Amino acid sequence: MATNLTLAPLLAAWAGSARCQAAARPVPYRDSIPPTLVTFEMVPVPGGTVTLDSPAGPRVVAVGPFWIGKTEVTWDEYDVWVYRLDVAAGAPGGPDSADATARPSRPYGAPDRGFGHQGYPALAMTYPAARAYCAWLSARTGRHYGLPTDAQWTRALELGLGTDTTLSAERRDALAWHAGNAAHKAHAVASKRADALGVYDLLGNVAEWVTVPDGPPVVRGGSWADPAARVGPRARAAQTSAWNETDPQFPKSRWWLADAPFVGFRIVLLTP
Amino acid sequence: MTPKHPRDVTRREFVETTAAATTAIALPHAPSIGRGAPKTIRIALIGCGGRGTGAVKDCLTSSENIELVALGDLFPDHLAKCRESLATMATEDPTLKPKIKVKDSQCFVGFDAYRKVLEGNTDLVLLATPPAFRARHLAAAIDAGKHVFMEKPVAVDPQGVHAVMGCAELAAQKGLAIVAGTQRRHDAGYRAAMERIHDGAIGDLVAAEVYWNQGGLWMKPREPSWSDAEWQIRNWLYFTWLSGDHIVEQHIHNIDVANWAFGAHPVKAIAVGGRQRRTDPAYGHIFDHFAVEFEYPNGARLRSMCRQQDGTASRVGERFVGTRGTSDGHAVIEGAAPWSWDPQAPKVNPYVQEHADLIASIRAGRPLNEGRQVAESTLTAIMGREAAYTGQEVAWDELLNCQQDLVPTEVQFGPMPVPPVAMPGQTILARSWRSA
Repeated sequence: MATNLTLAPLLAAWAGSARCQAAARPVPYRDSIPPTLVTFEMVPVPGGTVTLDSPAGPRVVAVGPFWIGKTEVTWDEYDVWVYRLDVAAGAPGGPDSADATARPSRPYGAPDRGFGHQGYPALAMTYPAARAYCAWLSARTGRHYGLPTDAQWTRALELGLGTDTTLSAERRDALAWHAGNAAHKAHAVASKRADALGVYDLLGNVAEWVTVPDGPPVVRGGSWADPAARVGPRARAAQTSAWNETDPQFPKSRWWLADAPFVGFRIVLLTP
Repeated sequence: MTPKHPRDVTRREFVETTAAATTAIALPHAPSIGRGAPKTIRIALIGCGGRGTGAVKDCLTSSENIELVALGDLFPDHLAKCRESLATMATEDPTLKPKIKVKDSQCFVGFDAYRKVLEGNTDLVLLATPPAFRARHLAAAIDAGKHVFMEKPVAVDPQGVHAVMGCAELAAQKGLAIVAGTQRRHDAGYRAAMERIHDGAIGDLVAAEVYWNQGGLWMKPREPSWSDAEWQIRNWLYFTWLSGDHIVEQHIHNIDVANWAFGAHPVKAIAVGGRQRRTDPAYGHIFDHFAVEFEYPNGARLRSMCRQQDGTASRVGERFVGTRGTSDGHAVIEGAAPWSWDPQAPKVNPYVQEHADLIASIRAGRPLNEGRQVAESTLTAIMGREAAYTGQEVAWDELLNCQQDLVPTEVQFGPMPVPPVAMPGQTILARSWRSA
């Protein structure tokens, strides 16, 4: 992963006048989750237009500039939220507190399914959980993080793949973990090659939650559990009952999907 | 000692297990054999929490001609929430709606709610209260002539285990079914792997490992209106008399798989354990980690590890080592006879399958009876707990015959001191609620 990235250039750009801000060229930056030492990196994505599949046929959508997570959100980040590692022990809302405001229930069993933890993608969270994480992260950092829209995710992928969007078997293997190479598990983020934007694992590893403005959310890109042919730019799946079939409780968890260890997400930064 | 083949030691149990397995294969929605629709089976739920309500859904989903007619819980708020959840369930899945027929007059609360439920016209009861109450509820249900589905664990102390074993015998005499919530026994992947292991695919079993390591679970902060007893029961996970401690309450799943593989229960155990991370009194007095070595009759050792500590590495599973290979017990066999479960193969949710098997066995007139099997797995987990609590080597017969009864004869709301945290080298097996 890149080193020497700091938030300074971005903060300088934001602190400046509108003229300065407009002049500042967006750069990658590293953010942290205070007061922990956990960090994550964001990569700028220039605006443009994308063509989305929709039930009514292809639809052209304009996308403004934004930043996207260099990797899928890892357990290192997600655990801070789940286990309240951002709140001192003993403090209200701390690790031993039962204050349940917008934090997930304790996961039952091994949330990482034994695939790996540090540096591995957080997985099997519901869409509302991924959204709530973004709201918490925004409050913690003071920056407006969210889930990508379908169009933003597509824009990042198209720029990442470059002008040649064909995926040969070799190229797919170089970029993506899929059922043909993943040995039945998710892998550490950024353990495949970065794309042209410097972003990892948009295709494969965990399929990623995106918002759909006029419809139910979907996961994009395919996952380690999908055959290679279903890991690609058009891979898009909506949640089915099978994703949470074996949660033995009723009501089933609002936060965790008992049977979807192939679902994760990454974040985007909207307007500063 | 000369290790014998595990099946030689426990041929009786093995044959019973296999016989039960072969008679119990049934798929949900499978057409019933015989003419016309099968007689409707009327069910009731005792213990209306999230798992109990989920068990109702699993049972109603598993088979046709099933109706839920009665509910019982200690707490009015639990019962009300369950009824709301049932309404949601009926909305989400219209096929379940006609199966939910609970009248106000068939909803009961209080410590004697289970008795009122059992007085009703039902065929099958689902027992899903905290484990402390399981043995007495099971006894009452078998006495009342009901078939039973009961959640694990089925007891918290040897006295409860004795009671469940007695109930299992009585149920067999009365032709009543008992299926337990050790759902891996009804999981197609586990069954396929176990069949191969029992057929010698990894040779003779010489060692095994089982794990349930995870973070902490829910806790409900005490409210001023709650008595000691109410606070403990609402936070039942954290009191040994209620849950059996997390090795019994949760890790029993993996320990049960080991007993299944060995076709036996261990004969003794040594263990370490403690309360290291989760020390706030809000979490009662149970431990937060255990590591146990169990020894089976053939001399093979089972290493067991369980932990509930936030921020620590998770692992849930089993591993079996034989003279010719290894297996995870449910998906993979490596060695001389390699095998793997086809992830694309159709597989019924095991939480539904266990009810499908139960109902099918009742309708076939050959009721499944898992009572002794789950009682043995419960006592195995208790043996691990007691080896850690006391710091002594604990033998099966010693444990089964010791004077340990942790559940008050008559539980009531009111003052109830929290027992001290067990202290290895000081805590003894012979403990009673009377001296708490």
